[in-house]
Amino acid sequence: MIRNHLSTIIIFLVTAAAGVIAAISFGKMHHPEELYPSTFLTKKGMLSDYFDGIKGTNGDTEVYLFDSGVEGGTALLGGGTHANEAASFLASVVILENLKVTQGRVIIIPRMNNSAFTCSDPMEGFPEYFGIPTDNGTRTFRLGSRVTNPLDQWPDPLVFAQYPSNQQLSGFETRNLNRAYPGRPDGNLTEKVAYAIIQLIDKENVNIAFDLHESSPEVPIVNVIVYHEKYEDIAMGAVLGLEMAGLQFSPETSPKNFHGLSHREWGDFTNAVPFLMETSNPSMGRLRGKTDVDLVLRGYCDNYKKAKETGALRIAYREDTGEPIEHRVGRHIMGFKELINSYNYYYPENQIVIENLPDYDLMMENGVGKYLNN
Amino acid sequence: MSIELIIFICMLATFALSIFLFKMPAGVSLMLAAVVGALIGGEGLPVRHLVEGGFGFLEAILIISTAMIFMRVMQETGALAGVSRGILRLFYRQPTLLIIVITVFVMFPGMLTGLSSTCILTTGALVAPILINIGMQRLAVGALIAMAAVFGEVAPPISIPVMIIGGGVDMPYIGFGIPLLLVSLPPALITALYFRYRYLPDYNVDRVKEYLDSTDGEKYGVILYLPIVFVILYMIGEIRFHEYVPHLGVPLIFIIGTILGLLTRKGVKIIDVSRKALRSAMPVMAILVGVGMFLQILALTGVRGYLAVTALGLPEGIRYLAAGLMPFMGSAYGSASIIGVPLVYVFIGKSTLVVTAVLVLMAALGDLMPPPALLCAYSSQIIEEKNHFRILKTCLIPIAISMTIGILILVFAQEISNLIL
Repeated sequence: MIRNHLSTIIIFLVTAAAGVIAAISFGKMHHPEELYPSTFLTKKGMLSDYFDGIKGTNGDTEVYLFDSGVEGGTALLGGGTHANEAASFLASVVILENLKVTQGRVIIIPRMNNSAFTCSDPMEGFPEYFGIPTDNGTRTFRLGSRVTNPLDQWPDPLVFAQYPSNQQLSGFETRNLNRAYPGRPDGNLTEKVAYAIIQLIDKENVNIAFDLHESSPEVPIVNVIVYHEKYEDIAMGAVLGLEMAGLQFSPETSPKNFHGLSHREWGDFTNAVPFLMETSNPSMGRLRGKTDVDLVLRGYCDNYKKAKETGALRIAYREDTGEPIEHRVGRHIMGFKELINSYNYYYPENQIVIENLPDYDLMMENGVGKYLNN
Repeated sequence: MSIELIIFICMLATFALSIFLFKMPAGVSLMLAAVVGALIGGEGLPVRHLVEGGFGFLEAILIISTAMIFMRVMQETGALAGVSRGILRLFYRQPTLLIIVITVFVMFPGMLTGLSSTCILTTGALVAPILINIGMQRLAVGALIAMAAVFGEVAPPISIPVMIIGGGVDMPYIGFGIPLLLVSLPPALITALYFRYRYLPDYNVDRVKEYLDSTDGEKYGVILYLPIVFVILYMIGEIRFHEYVPHLGVPLIFIIGTILGLLTRKGVKIIDVSRKALRSAMPVMAILVGVGMFLQILALTGVRGYLAVTALGLPEGIRYLAAGLMPFMGSAYGSASIIGVPLVYVFIGKSTLVVTAVLVLMAALGDLMPPPALLCAYSSQIIEEKNHFRILKTCLIPIAISMTIGILILVFAQEISNLIL
């Protein structure tokens, strides 16, 4: 009897063992790493404070408020819209752990799509975590998925009809937070999270809002500041300021007929001035070599050098240095600072004054870990 | 030689050895190839990655399993037989049109499920007696059904090889309707005409009428067709009228269709039917798990990027030759994942939608090819032919025609895209 079913028993046992090992690994993804805000933090809340429809779900996420107590404008900084974009999350963490606001207020949401931090992207081979060496050891951070965890929102439709534009996209995009704005209170989890963020922007009277991203070097929209057409002057002012600091950013207008994105819908549905920034991350690219933590952190990949030499594609990749994490985080922080400076120039009645954030050069010199608490 | 190339060669060698030498199923062979790739790539035994990759096509696996049960139930209730008799009664006076309609009818389950073997096991099994009784040679019947199954796998709305390639190149499954019709319908029509004039030259209308009259069985009325109508309308409704039609997901739609099928006729043993359906779909589901693992390890070890970058630098003539080699991988899904993914990069600059559609046609022809020659083997069971390679031999001319059409579309992919998209 046992001999007849030997192969079945072996396959069952191997599958069960693999399942248990993988389940432990995936289970750990549901425990977020601790963040250590700067001492100037005035309040920590949750996104569900603005829309209780996401309370108790994996879509709910921490919201950090820095209030100077001095009248001024309010900025919102969002990282981790796509949890597989390491520098987007990390830049918001560095800002969170160093920021001092002396006029106006800054709100930070490091994990905009919290659910996406609890899963991974199948068939991509991404590492689960990456470690940043600090003065006190190594801080470990999650590298998650581009989209909401299917355990929280499933199944995907064959075709995703974006609300309210009715624009049609592939079913997979129904879990992409940056296709879900303005969202709706009775929609799927991703739409509810998008709706909650819009509620936050409205209720907190956010004046300027940032959505940090990364993209593959071979994608055309990379190393850019995407701006809503109403706020071109602010974007151009910041690009000029960044140029003077030795950093090149391409200004890109938000396409009017591409819906669901933060730079489009925050501008159309709220009073905030929205900006989206993208850095070049080779570990996300389809041409990348071995997919490991080294690639995520060093951003150096011979494949991109070779691909650039073929001339077949336009590739945003620096052959000599690669695209290391401190470079990508540094760009985001500088972009954040310069856009606020430019905003202050055009809206002097809503000044936001921030301090204590590292410059790009310091970030390159000292590394990201130097600016992480604990 | 780069380490990525060594890993890739070892993975392919493991896959080939496992299939040819050890006669292992394609799905298991892909899993073994993934494990070997990870070991050589210095990743040890990356259980999390293997399991993660194995779940890459979970949705497709659920669709296949529920669709297979649905089609089997439709077969048991007599709905499919009713449709095939209806087709014959409608078109028996025009044999050319009849063969074309039968070809499209055989394609139908594949269009819904993305699974070629469904076509042979359901609609193919129903039309085979009809084709034999109207005078077509047995081998030709087997070959026509096998070819139609290939085109059914390619044709929209659901084409799993496209999803496999899309999964490898980060391309959404959208906008493929017209390109997939372009690469599936013309070859299907030409194949139908080829079989009509080569293997059915002496069509006798009176004899067919006699056959029809003798096979008119019990009638259950239109209610028998309600599940098929429901499934098709609901899928269309979900996409076109999403504001009013609740989103259920394709697997649940098929399950509801199956329940409706059970209500339309008593006596269908759902447990038995489900077991048979899942057993016949199991090899394909195992392939999808294996393909997911294979793709995950390709990405993890950097082989995927290596292939893509190498492909970017290839001279143009070699690129078309590589596409022409796709059918000889012997498995549509394997071919789509292993060669299809890098070839999309090779043809960057042309319309990605049209290029991918052509690559899917090329990959799908692989289901006819040895070593497994899966569709020929299924088809041979239907027409009771012991040597399934005789069916493959009968398919050779339509295969050559289809490949020629595919390569031509590939060469002019951008121009065609400008015209039709």
